[in-house]
Amino acid sequence: MDKVWVIAKREFLVTVTRKSYIFAVVGMPLLFGGIFGISFLTSGTLEQSIRSGSEPMAVVDRSHTLDFELAGSIEPVREPSAAATEILQNAAGSRPSGIVPYTDMTRAIQDLKAGRLSAVYLIESDYMSTGQIVAYSPERGMFSDLTPPDRSRLYNLIRASLVKGRIDDETRERVLAPAKLKQMKISKHGDVESASDAFQKAARFFGPFSMFLLLTMSIFFSSGYLLQGIAEEKQNRVIEVIWASVDPMELLAGKIIGLGAAGLLQVAFYAGMLFLPAVAVFALFQVSVTGLVLSLVYYLLGYLLFAGLMAGTGILGNSPQESGQLSAFWTLLSMIPMFLLAPITEAPNSWMARGLSWFPLTAPVTMLLRITSGQIPWVDVGISIVVLVVSIYLAVRGAAIMFRAAALMYGKRPGFGEILRWLKEA
Amino acid sequence: MVLSSPAIALHSVRKSFRTVVAVDEASFDVQRGEILGLLGPNGAGKTTLLRLIMDIFRPDSGTIQVFGRHLLKEDKNRIGYLPEERGLYTRQKVQSVIEYLVQLKGVPRSQARTNAFQWLERLDMLKVKERRVQELSKGNQQKIQFIATVAAEPEILLLDEPFSGLDPVNARVLIEVIQGLAASGKTIVLSTHQMNLVESLCRRVFMIHHGRQVLYGDLEQIQREYSAKALFVRSNADYADCPFIEHTTANGRGTQILLKDNKQPRDLLSWLVEKGADVQSFECARTPLEDIFIKIVRQ
Repeated sequence: MDKVWVIAKREFLVTVTRKSYIFAVVGMPLLFGGIFGISFLTSGTLEQSIRSGSEPMAVVDRSHTLDFELAGSIEPVREPSAAATEILQNAAGSRPSGIVPYTDMTRAIQDLKAGRLSAVYLIESDYMSTGQIVAYSPERGMFSDLTPPDRSRLYNLIRASLVKGRIDDETRERVLAPAKLKQMKISKHGDVESASDAFQKAARFFGPFSMFLLLTMSIFFSSGYLLQGIAEEKQNRVIEVIWASVDPMELLAGKIIGLGAAGLLQVAFYAGMLFLPAVAVFALFQVSVTGLVLSLVYYLLGYLLFAGLMAGTGILGNSPQESGQLSAFWTLLSMIPMFLLAPITEAPNSWMARGLSWFPLTAPVTMLLRITSGQIPWVDVGISIVVLVVSIYLAVRGAAIMFRAAALMYGKRPGFGEILRWLKEA
Repeated sequence: MVLSSPAIALHSVRKSFRTVVAVDEASFDVQRGEILGLLGPNGAGKTTLLRLIMDIFRPDSGTIQVFGRHLLKEDKNRIGYLPEERGLYTRQKVQSVIEYLVQLKGVPRSQARTNAFQWLERLDMLKVKERRVQELSKGNQQKIQFIATVAAEPEILLLDEPFSGLDPVNARVLIEVIQGLAASGKTIVLSTHQMNLVESLCRRVFMIHHGRQVLYGDLEQIQREYSAKALFVRSNADYADCPFIEHTTANGRGTQILLKDNKQPRDLLSWLVEKGADVQSFECARTPLEDIFIKIVRQ
């Protein structure tokens, strides 16, 4: 056991002082920061977009359907966000409605070209029978081009004009704004509660989801270090020297502990940087204690499984690059739940999600994801843990067999048949 | 453990890799405190034998005993193994690499540090202890590998080509160190192609060729047996015409002659007389190990 600790200690120290590790530890938060920064900057662009959208729009009404006097009292059907409302109000300034009647289509198009209008709508004289309206707007981008700006304001004005004098004010209000929706939900305990505001809802998802993302990344970072370390030791032939002192299982155990600790340190560092006080993690991000404990359990099991697989694969290659290529098979399989992120988070107890939880290679990531998405049956927890424990035993044992068979094999890479033969003979 | 048992004993050991038989029915022992020369051409199976002793490979059949028993995990601490290919963490500092490898032999960290320091000093390598391994010359890396092997003070040393990459001065230093280790009671298996070093260091040799044992025993005895066919002659004869000679090696003082197996010195003497050669000296010579080696390999 002493040797295991000697190896673990060295692996930990060598890894945490590696440039690639330091880059990953410091670089990842910077990357996240960068993404948030870009989002923030793009929100400025959005503001610009909203501002430009709140430029007045012109309506050339050849059908004489619209009563432009009503334009000032029109509100969009959907409530804008507080920020958007403020921007709209500021941008709109003295033009609360933002709908300007034009009689001359040519002039309207000229003003649109000059950027004085956000859009021009042409309501043809046969509108009442055909319902056809032609919208003109400047080219902005693929998605914004699909929907002409301020469409809802125009529609509201049309509705208001059509019902004017035909129904009472209250009914008119409901026609224009059928609902001011207040959302309620039934909790897991059967209580009726008001749905959280958008921020809390987002936090409820993003808190556990961030934890899932960090733990998943850490699993692959740590097992990746293990793969690289073993491939390097084989390449520089030090593995034979080590083997003269320890057996493959001791070597594997030491490496797995040392590199797992380096991975945990990485997660702790991220957690410390991103979510600082633990209180905030529980209170703000709504991570339950059970969820947290289960996440750590699956992190540990996932790491042990992939450490075993990476070690067994790492020893087969002749260089870190070759070993990396070989291990891509495991990585790709394990990332299947990431590609199915939306269906799993939306229905964490679907048969697909459950099936992926029972398959060892996809179980860690799927279970980490399901934990973030809702309550999962304990039977799934039990099955996946049993499946993972058995798989870890087989993976580590298989890695030890690979070590004995392939650690000193240089030049020719063993074929699949040969690997199977080693496993059978062991 | 039986104290009088050999340090290492192999009996009918066989190891194959798929269709290739690397070691076939090898049997030998190494007594405590002796240096056994392990000889053989490239690919003969020497490294495989050493790996079998270290339990890096497992034999297909036969038995291997170390310290009088099948090798146990803890026994590895008592064996130092210097592989033919250097195996060091090239990007790390010399002292930390030695300390780590010594610690893996079960030596506590502080002791490992002290031992590493003493051996670096002994082999005049203290000046490089803070340098990265990759910055050292091939010869100095070999010395570091040797230090990492002996600094744990193992009772048995398996040295596979320890003089590889060393200049004559450093090779001489290492020879003296190995002699000193043997004198202090260490058991050493020395695998090398440098026959002159085997002659000066080993009392017994084991030679393997195509995985099979071809020579085993006391070196002097072996050389005596082969010397019955070895002569040192000073004459003006042209030996190219002589049908009794296996091969000749000429130097400034005369010609070293190795006779064919079925020929005797008197056959050569008769031939020289018959040819009317001017013979200044005719004496039996001790056959160099290298000649024995070449003769066996060519057979």
